[in-house]
Amino acid sequence: MSIIRSAKSAGALYWPVQAHRNIGVRALFLVVLAFLVAYGVLFPGLFTASGFGKFTQSWFPLALVAMAQAILMLTGGISLAIGATVSLGAVIAATTMAGPLGVAGGAAAVALAGLGIGAATGFIVVKLRLPAIVVTLAGSFIIGGAALLILPRPGGAIPAWLSDLLAGDTPAAFLILVVIVLLWKLYLATPLGLSLYAAGENPVGAYRSGVPVDAARVAAYAISGLLSTSAGLFVAAQTGSGDPVIGTAFTLNSIAAAVLGGIGFLGGQGTMRGALAGSLLLSLMISVMFFLGFTPVAQYVAQGLIIIGAVAIPQFRKVQQ
Amino acid sequence: MKKSSFFASASALCLGLVLAVSAGTAANAAANCIKGDRKPPYTIGWADIYSVPTWMKQTQGTIEAEVETLKKQGLVDKLVVTDAQGDANVQIQQIQSMIDSNVDAIILIAGSSTAPARVLADACDKGIAIINFDSLVDTDKVTAKINTDSSQWGDQAAKFLINAIGGKGKILILNGPAGISVSDDRRKGADAELKAHPDVKILAETNTPYNVAPAQEAVTSLLFANPEIDGILSLGGALSAGAVLALDKQGREQVPITGENARQFLELWKEKGLKSWATMQPNWLGALAAYTAVQALQGKDVPAFVKIPLPVIDNSNIDDYLARAKDFPADGYIYSPYDEELFKKLLAQK
Repeated sequence: MSIIRSAKSAGALYWPVQAHRNIGVRALFLVVLAFLVAYGVLFPGLFTASGFGKFTQSWFPLALVAMAQAILMLTGGISLAIGATVSLGAVIAATTMAGPLGVAGGAAAVALAGLGIGAATGFIVVKLRLPAIVVTLAGSFIIGGAALLILPRPGGAIPAWLSDLLAGDTPAAFLILVVIVLLWKLYLATPLGLSLYAAGENPVGAYRSGVPVDAARVAAYAISGLLSTSAGLFVAAQTGSGDPVIGTAFTLNSIAAAVLGGIGFLGGQGTMRGALAGSLLLSLMISVMFFLGFTPVAQYVAQGLIIIGAVAIPQFRKVQQ
Repeated sequence: MKKSSFFASASALCLGLVLAVSAGTAANAAANCIKGDRKPPYTIGWADIYSVPTWMKQTQGTIEAEVETLKKQGLVDKLVVTDAQGDANVQIQQIQSMIDSNVDAIILIAGSSTAPARVLADACDKGIAIINFDSLVDTDKVTAKINTDSSQWGDQAAKFLINAIGGKGKILILNGPAGISVSDDRRKGADAELKAHPDVKILAETNTPYNVAPAQEAVTSLLFANPEIDGILSLGGALSAGAVLALDKQGREQVPITGENARQFLELWKEKGLKSWATMQPNWLGALAAYTAVQALQGKDVPAFVKIPLPVIDNSNIDDYLARAKDFPADGYIYSPYDEELFKKLLAQK
């Protein structure tokens, strides 16, 4: 509170607020930084355009689903359908882009499917007041089934130029991620974006203060759906094809990344940068441990220890205070 | 939207990239992907999709044993193992790490029949020998693929069973999970024989995971519904063990049944004196993959597809298999013996 009182103008307020928000995730940032340095030392090729590009491509879909999960958790929601939605995005892209719809039409279909599924899920959860965990679990079966109907066996195709553009030897994926993060910042400045945290932390209070709580939550689901199917599109481009079950693991990984990034399950707690850092850590761990020469069994143990460590360090400090 | 204009502006650059890549892969070396610039001792990467099932552990065991042999010959100095825990995306990232660390060969069981295609193409362009076995990827940009024929499995199993029940009777068919290509292909392979024998009546079919308990449960309920069963066409070893146990628990007489080299089933076969036949997906496909990778790296020609004939277990050789049972885990698979001579023969076939 003292930070806010000492501030004199809106401009001067911005950075102290940002710094305050970073407190919970500082330890995570340090861990991620340490891993980045370790990765760079172990694999100097990381600093070439192609090496950096390939690394960010492995991270990119996880970053998107971490954002997709984080935006829901910030409003007090959650989704167990993220993996299935990623799969659906991948199969729509792989079945449309090489056909008459073309890349633009296919991308539009992927975006519409994501927004539509997200908005429908959000509408059911918010307007019918049903638990998000149940609705999205049921949704994951429906969406996963739809993906299998569209493409029963792995197949389909993505135009080679698109694969090479998004997942070739350039850091294109990283640049797109930067754009998405900037768009997120912009969204937070809109009325719906501003309502997001309020709707999550104290929905009743926010509603009484005139915040469009329901609209903010439905919008969050729609954006989450869009991010998920976009991740699917990217995976399809990265692999050059569609696989109806390719996204399955993203459901749990998205939750892991968000929680690792300090996003609370109860809503209104945490920051998007935390979720992104969480997803980056999950992705970095796989590569760094490979280069350290860990055996698979040692990797399981190390991964668990690192995750517990990154989550627990800020808690220790809280307890000490 | 914003993205699509970005795509368009960069597409020219991308086209250039495609041309550059395709120009770089003029095929003149012996085997696919091999450029001849890699010298022994080699580093082999083993990109496992999921290390937990017993079949996978035994397969890794044969790879490690083969690598030990190759190490003694001075051909290999390191085996790098990754485990994607069933996630095809993680497997891609791990294969990318193998490329980044410049391994000489990658052997893999794929987690998706399409997803790893692009990263494998990258590896192939770098002259890395890629040997894909068991679960295959739809791509030509690998050095070799090694597998048995699942539809032949179904066909041979159906032939044995129809013969064993005298060309007519009522049978059950036990399949693996629905929508899995192996289970699909084995079942389809049995179709021709079943159609050719209209007197063989299919009472019911099951789809269960390749585990004893669910198969036993499924067969038990079918036994209640069908007092008369003449044979069981089982397309998986654990399924067969489940069926035999179900018959046994119900006090029903054992009927002719097909199976796989699962140790538990082979032991039941002997114990109950079954009329049976079994084949296998040999674990030594892993060892053969490591061997093939080194052969290819040394400039030898290897076939793009190595088809492994299905080893057959019947009453004439079941004792030989059971004599070796103690060397295998209780829930494991007793695979047929293998040696370098066999590998040489398999790689020499056209």
